[in-house]
Amino acid sequence: MGSSSGQPEFDYLFKVLLIGDSGVGKSSLLLSFTSNTFDDLSPTIGVDFKVKYLTIGEKKLKLAIWDTAGQERFRTLTSSYYRGAQGIIMVYDVTRRDTFTNLSDIWAKEIDLYSTNQDCIKMLVGNKVDKESERAVTKKEGIDFAREYGCLFLECSAKTRVNVEQCFEELVLKILETPSLTAEGSSGGKKNIFKQNPTQTSSASSSYCCSS
Amino acid sequence: MASASRPNSLEEDDDDAEEEVQHFDDFTLASSWERFISDIEATCRQWLADGPRNLVEKGAVAMEDSKNLFKVKHDLKNVEKSYCMEFYFQIDDNGGQQAGIDNWNSNSHDLQLCFGVKDFLLIAPQSASGVLLDSPESSKLLSSVAIALSNCASLWPAFVPVHDPSRKAYIGIQNMGTVFTRRFEADRIGSQVPVKLMHLEGLYELFISKFVYSGVDFSMHNFRVHFRMRLTYQTFPYDEEDEENDMDELMDDKADNAEHHGSESRNKVHWDDDCPWSEWYSAEDPLRGFELVVTWDDRTVENTMEMAELENASPHEAEKWILHPILSPYLGDPSRGKRIDFASQLLCLVEALDMSFTAQFMEDFVSVEYPSSENLKTSLVIPPQTVLDRVIKDLFHEGSKLPDFTKGEHKLSRALKAAPLESLFTQFCLHSLWFGNCNIRAIAFLWIDFVREVRWCWEETQPLPKMPNDGSIDLSTCLINQKLHLLAICIEKKREMNEEFLDCIGSEDSSDASVSMEEHPKVDKRKNTSSEADLQRKRDSSIAEDTSNRLRFERKTESTNSVDHSPTYAMRRGSAGPVGTMMLLKSHQRLHAPFTQDPPLMTEDMHEERLQAVEAFGDSLNVPGQLEKDILLSDMSAFKAANPDAVFEDFIRWHSPGDWESFEPKTTEPSAASNTEGSTDQWPPQGRLSQRMSDQGNLWRKSWHDAPALQADDQKPLLDPNREGEKILHYLETVRPHQLLEQMACTAFRGSADTLNQTNYGNMKQMTSKLEQLYFIIKSTLGGLQRNNLPDRAETVKDLRRLCVVFEHVEKLVTVAASLHRKFLDASRLAQVIFSEFYGIYVPLMGINSNDEENKSRTEMEVSRQEVTLRERQVVSNLFSPPSANQSWRKVLSMGNLLNGHEPILREIIFSTGDDVNNGIHYAAAADVAATSDRRGEEIETHRMYVSGTSNDLRVALSVTSCD
Ligand SMILES: Nc1nc2c(ncn2[C@@H]2O[C@H](COP(=O)(O)OP(=O)(O)OP(=O)(O)O)[C@@H](O)[C@H]2O)c(=O)[nH]1
Ligand SMILES: [Mg+2]
Repeated sequence: MGSSSGQPEFDYLFKVLLIGDSGVGKSSLLLSFTSNTFDDLSPTIGVDFKVKYLTIGEKKLKLAIWDTAGQERFRTLTSSYYRGAQGIIMVYDVTRRDTFTNLSDIWAKEIDLYSTNQDCIKMLVGNKVDKESERAVTKKEGIDFAREYGCLFLECSAKTRVNVEQCFEELVLKILETPSLTAEGSSGGKKNIFKQNPTQTSSASSSYCCSS
Repeated sequence: MASASRPNSLEEDDDDAEEEVQHFDDFTLASSWERFISDIEATCRQWLADGPRNLVEKGAVAMEDSKNLFKVKHDLKNVEKSYCMEFYFQIDDNGGQQAGIDNWNSNSHDLQLCFGVKDFLLIAPQSASGVLLDSPESSKLLSSVAIALSNCASLWPAFVPVHDPSRKAYIGIQNMGTVFTRRFEADRIGSQVPVKLMHLEGLYELFISKFVYSGVDFSMHNFRVHFRMRLTYQTFPYDEEDEENDMDELMDDKADNAEHHGSESRNKVHWDDDCPWSEWYSAEDPLRGFELVVTWDDRTVENTMEMAELENASPHEAEKWILHPILSPYLGDPSRGKRIDFASQLLCLVEALDMSFTAQFMEDFVSVEYPSSENLKTSLVIPPQTVLDRVIKDLFHEGSKLPDFTKGEHKLSRALKAAPLESLFTQFCLHSLWFGNCNIRAIAFLWIDFVREVRWCWEETQPLPKMPNDGSIDLSTCLINQKLHLLAICIEKKREMNEEFLDCIGSEDSSDASVSMEEHPKVDKRKNTSSEADLQRKRDSSIAEDTSNRLRFERKTESTNSVDHSPTYAMRRGSAGPVGTMMLLKSHQRLHAPFTQDPPLMTEDMHEERLQAVEAFGDSLNVPGQLEKDILLSDMSAFKAANPDAVFEDFIRWHSPGDWESFEPKTTEPSAASNTEGSTDQWPPQGRLSQRMSDQGNLWRKSWHDAPALQADDQKPLLDPNREGEKILHYLETVRPHQLLEQMACTAFRGSADTLNQTNYGNMKQMTSKLEQLYFIIKSTLGGLQRNNLPDRAETVKDLRRLCVVFEHVEKLVTVAASLHRKFLDASRLAQVIFSEFYGIYVPLMGINSNDEENKSRTEMEVSRQEVTLRERQVVSNLFSPPSANQSWRKVLSMGNLLNGHEPILREIIFSTGDDVNNGIHYAAAADVAATSDRRGEEIETHRMYVSGTSNDLRVALSVTSCD
């Protein structure tokens, strides 16, 4: 899991988006992942952006991670960042119940509205588990939500760095397992259904054969 | 017994046959005949020994329209001629010789039906059509076979054709294995059928005459015979002449015709006039018509009166109705280009897309200087100006009301990077499909005019038709649609600004300008001058000095906030009203929310630019986009203007309540319960900024420091409509041809699919899922378009051509589904079973045709007959609309049993009469009915007559069983 900076060659470029209420720790999570540090950060204005290189197996990946502002005032602006994302991480604060309920009230709807990628991988992350004593959302509730919305789920802490790397890794692995997403992110040319060998293709082309 | 041939003659010329048969005893002397017979015998023995199953294994040929009828062949030769002997046999597990006769099996062989037999031999001259068999020869031949068959103890009936093949005349013989022999005879009257024989009474009497001694007066006696009838009706065929003319027109100039149709050149009513595609083209009805087969079950008839009654009976009284849809041959025809539909035009668009890569600008395709335009011009025709005018008029001047943009939308429509069906750009694309047959020059011609018209709307500040002038930009649509939407919004903003400007000029004199200002609170006449310098000036003084504006907002503040009587109210500007009961921290004032600027609308290319800018900043945190900073700054300025005494913390409390940690029990959100006095008592509010917000060097605090107090109306607009609008027109005027064509292709495919998607085809699940598949395939095929570069153009174009083939198939299916649905509105079961069947036949072909482009062979499309239930009969009968005036010439009406004025095109009747085995009397057993019904098992059919007639010909086949 080496991260190398300034390495221009990569096999895949994936776009990952962080969303969730203001103050749940999106920026902290990103900082923790990309530079192993935890600082008090200013609230994000609009959007922030970071690049991280990963190597998974033989594959070199470039992750472009977009950190959006949770504040309502910026929501109309941030909606445009959903476009073309292969992964979306929904973050809530396990010590603030409203940040969890807003996921279904607001954020899941935003994804439906703005995500252009039907196969895009969604992930639910409960942050700030270091504040266990103040916990207001149980892990079970998180799991149930994830099941209902078909997301990956993890609890982590940007402060103690517990589960921070796992969270991004799991997401990337899942993206790599999804042919339509890897096709998009692949640095090579785009594949299409007419060229593919029928036995290799997934749901997209089987419907093409008109056999059903 | 073979020597005793005594056929009952139908017609005169059979007398000759009788004579010939008399000579037949000589056959043993002729050695050639002997050899001939033994040849037949040997073959029959072989066939008998093999049995049906082995014969099939040995390569018996299955008959085309029957599932279980097979034949084997053997060539025979005698001195003079070559013959061919064929053995027809049926493979079915149940039943003996008689099985399958009584039901009107539509798959039966003609001879099976005529003579009520199952397996049979047929001997005919080698070249059936060329050689005529005269009666003597036929008889001789039949005798030979009869001898051969009796030698090998076979019970097969054998038939031999007589006369001209068109007469379908046969004679035949069958050894019944007992003392009985059956003889067969069939003939046909090809024209001028005697009137008597056109009616049931006459036919009944004809049958009676075959077993009753002549001289008996039929009308005086009752003869009990079995009667079965099958009538075939057909809906009036398409007017062939009309159809051909239509096709010619279409071939001559399909595009022009398509543009014209619906108006002057065609007044004809089309079956699909209310189908969604009829706005663009008219499809041939995939259902040519219907054949209805009505059967009357076995009934016993005793006299001619009953026959007359039967002839008057309505088909509704019959026992069974079977419907057979007749499909138009085009359905099995993969002829691209011959048909006009969305698929054919989309293919033209794909070719245009392929060509679009050859030029820099759309103008190049119409310009005279363009190098390759000479050969282009000859092949690519531009329609006349009148057609262009009509299209532009339709696009820009028809109906000012905003259309329903969700019309026709499939749940997968939005997955395509296109535009809503009713939007301006989709309508442009659909028009292009039918404009000059959609060649690249015609498209260029239309596009240039289209953009010119759009510019006119912009210059004249006229609303853009078929586009909303509000809302947010839908980035999932194609770029041109986004641009047109933003342009519509810019035009609206420009219009508001113009109005405001005029109002303000007017208000210099009049003292009351508040009315119009409240209508457009955010518009500022000084927008052009509110430059950076202006902002600077405002920041320095923090109190606005422009009197006219001040006057304006004092009035405004008064109206929105009459509660606030604080001394600084005169300086409060751009307030949208107090936020609950929130109080400022450092001043005993209500906290007011300001009017803020809307975040600017952006098209996807603007977003992209922004992302690139952010990305270019590199890999460091806290580098928000300039735009977001501008918005924050704008909010802060507006907040300062609305709350002149506010501090940074106040702004955070309003803007990012989560970053204010209140010490009061009722914290960030002031509840409605806390009344004015209460909050006044609690002043100043207790609390502090969150950790992250109170950091030193916090960007927010810095921005707060920099922000001038300026209400939104006085700020530089985040989106300058004049600038943005001009940029959009520049884009439209200079768009690269391939970029335009790529967007057009996506939009046209979606538009066409959405149009088909509106089709009402009832509840046909296959169709629903097929349409869904279509969207899916479109999506994955078009995925490569509208990106920065097309990786493999040739490959993409090839894929798109294949997509057109898929589209054609789905389009045909939709037409069939729609046609069935409308015809069987009240009998949807029928529509569904017929469609299912058609689907089952058609869909496998789709796979073949689309995988192999070279496959141009046509396939016959036949769907099987469907039994009509009693409840469905009315619907089916309505398909047979009463003949119209110009169809009346067809009304010969020589037969009865009319269905809505339609006489049957074919009437088939089987008469039969039986006799007790022990009762050797051959005439009708009129007195013996009780006995026959009791001892049915012993009754044998003595006479059977099959009659098949249309309004001008008649075939009669007779079988007579006798004891020799
Ligand atoms: N204890 C603890 N505090 C955390 C953790 N992650 C973030 N925080 C704190 O939570 C606050 C908000 O964190 P941010 O990362 O700025 O939150 P954000 O989601 O980016 O907020 P917006 O940018 O406004 O959307 C900060 O004060 C962080 O220090 C964590 O894992 N544990
Ligand atoms: Mg943040």
